[in-house]
Amino acid sequence: MKKLFTILICKLLRFVGGLVGKGSSLPGQVALKLCPDILSRVSLPEYIIAVTGSNGKTSTVEMIAHILTKNGKTVAWNKEGSNQIEGVTTLVLGSCTLGGKVKSDILLIESDERFARYTFKYIQPTHYVITNLYRDQLTRNGHPEWVYDALLDSITSGTQLILNADDPLVSSFAQGRENVVWFGADKLSSDTETLESVYNDGAYCPVCKAPMTYTTHHYNHIGHYACTKCGYRRHDTQYTITAVDLDKGVMTIDGKHNITLALKSLYNIYNILSAYTVASIVGIDGAKIAADMNHYVLKNGRVITFELGSRKGTLLTSKHENSISYDQSIRVASAYKEGCDVMIIVDAVSRKYFTSDVSWLYDIDFDMLGCDNVHQIVLAGKYVNDLAVRFSYTDIPNDKIKLFEDINEAVDYLNSDRREYIYVITCFSDKGKFLVKVKGE
Amino acid sequence: MKILHLYHDLMNLYGDYANVSAMRRILEKSGESVTVDKVSLGGKAVLSDYDFIFVGSGTERNLRVALEDFRQYKAELSACADSGKALLFTGNSFEMLGKTLTDCHGNTVEGLGLFDFTVTEQNKTRDTADVIFNCDFLTQPLVGFVNKCSEIKGVSEPLFGVKMGLGNFKGDLHEGIRKNNLFGTHLTGPALIKNPHFLAYLAEKAGCKAVNTDYLTYEKAGFEVTLTELTKRMESGE
Repeated sequence: MKKLFTILICKLLRFVGGLVGKGSSLPGQVALKLCPDILSRVSLPEYIIAVTGSNGKTSTVEMIAHILTKNGKTVAWNKEGSNQIEGVTTLVLGSCTLGGKVKSDILLIESDERFARYTFKYIQPTHYVITNLYRDQLTRNGHPEWVYDALLDSITSGTQLILNADDPLVSSFAQGRENVVWFGADKLSSDTETLESVYNDGAYCPVCKAPMTYTTHHYNHIGHYACTKCGYRRHDTQYTITAVDLDKGVMTIDGKHNITLALKSLYNIYNILSAYTVASIVGIDGAKIAADMNHYVLKNGRVITFELGSRKGTLLTSKHENSISYDQSIRVASAYKEGCDVMIIVDAVSRKYFTSDVSWLYDIDFDMLGCDNVHQIVLAGKYVNDLAVRFSYTDIPNDKIKLFEDINEAVDYLNSDRREYIYVITCFSDKGKFLVKVKGE
Repeated sequence: MKILHLYHDLMNLYGDYANVSAMRRILEKSGESVTVDKVSLGGKAVLSDYDFIFVGSGTERNLRVALEDFRQYKAELSACADSGKALLFTGNSFEMLGKTLTDCHGNTVEGLGLFDFTVTEQNKTRDTADVIFNCDFLTQPLVGFVNKCSEIKGVSEPLFGVKMGLGNFKGDLHEGIRKNNLFGTHLTGPALIKNPHFLAYLAEKAGCKAVNTDYLTYEKAGFEVTLTELTKRMESGE
């Protein structure tokens, strides 16, 4: 009775919430109050796929859902991105019959890293993808090893781990476990021999803390590593990016499936690869997956093209407090051969909580913007002084940089007859302040 | 002048390295010629050769790795602290200098024993906060961020007073440690960039003869914005 009642209330709240455009965590929150173990009382489908990690969760989950749906599977997934236990509860109960049976073939859960241990106490994933662990929102998350320890508590013995072999910390989840599926990239034409990053989170072995060496870096500390002491090293992969051409925007998986990229970033190719891996495990044919990923444009609004007067540009949503996310966006802009202007906005560090911390700016490799492809750099927002100071520690000449505290003034300045393409790099917390001033796609 | 950056690749979690960049710049802008040496695990530095020594914050695991290496400097470090050499430890790095360090499982290792405090870590909640610290040797307060999982008990000479944020332990109104010109604070990241007045103070303690702060326009403006934001936050009581 309690189960039925809880499911009913959750569905009702979800319906009402949908009408008034409210978030997706409240119905689950109420359901958990009514029946704290409700998640363990429902009957779940054969496949329960969880995705977590610092970056790429939302995009990867969206891609997996797209591929599986295209291939005739029914998928229940947290589209709204509410990824803590409340949001997951809303998702699960919303997808249930009143009798408590999830109607879909596949339950697909994006999970917050720190809260996975609470969610997966009740629902054990059959397959668990961990994309990467980076310095991400450290004002809340502490540091990557802190998140690692929290995530370790969420992994149960019956779960099939699907790990990014190129991330040394993520790969160490496999310590003492068999039955791990590995995905990763071969040495790529875009790789570098030496580390290109302000800091090195791959300097020391995550297992024994002896120095590590790399034979190749895909980006930052993601690459082919080996410990100099304990034998810990990058694992061979079952699902592999065998080639990528970022200029042409083509990636190749397992030497045979070519995918044309809508977004030419290394990030994107990892997200596609992890989606490919999951879909393959579910039984979808590789060629079909590749076709579904061809030219795939994410619908989650993280990459938005716009027009500003006579000028065109792209907003690359990049997480504040996440240097690798910024580095990726900066790489995309720096690679734009026809010449571009770049705008960076730091106005509110976070939309969800208050902080004035800007230490993360020092982990971003802004020097990449010193290349010839980038003509002008516009810095804007409340923390423009901090941005200016950070840029003073790069080799980028002053005359290339314009400062505006007021975002509107910065946009007006960009609304000129310059011909350069515009890349805007900012966070969820600040992108709306820019987008109201331009014509979106 | 000579700067030593110890454990630059092991203890550098929140952009702490930028403190060294800031010190180099203020010394250069003040007419000094500057060299920076980075020494990490397996290396050996002669501490007395340097005018300013810096160690940044690290993960709890890395802190223990650094501590084992750091033991070799115990006597030298003690002499440096006594002689008034300028040293700055940010984040958890000063925790190495106390009597004991206990991890979340209750395992205790000895610290360097330069101070009498003890450190206890836990792994349940990360204690983080935007902070405003007061101190009597600077004309303005300090702003920044603290990100820790430890409590530090038994500090006899703290560095700052806590106006907003976190002290050495829960409810403590004091933060950090000091002995002569050895400064330890749980402020993480580029504390000297966020607080140009603290940078100037430390430059003088390092032996800079005529400290130039004229070039710090954006740093000073950035400090004011942050102080205003944090004060608003504090007064709103959230």
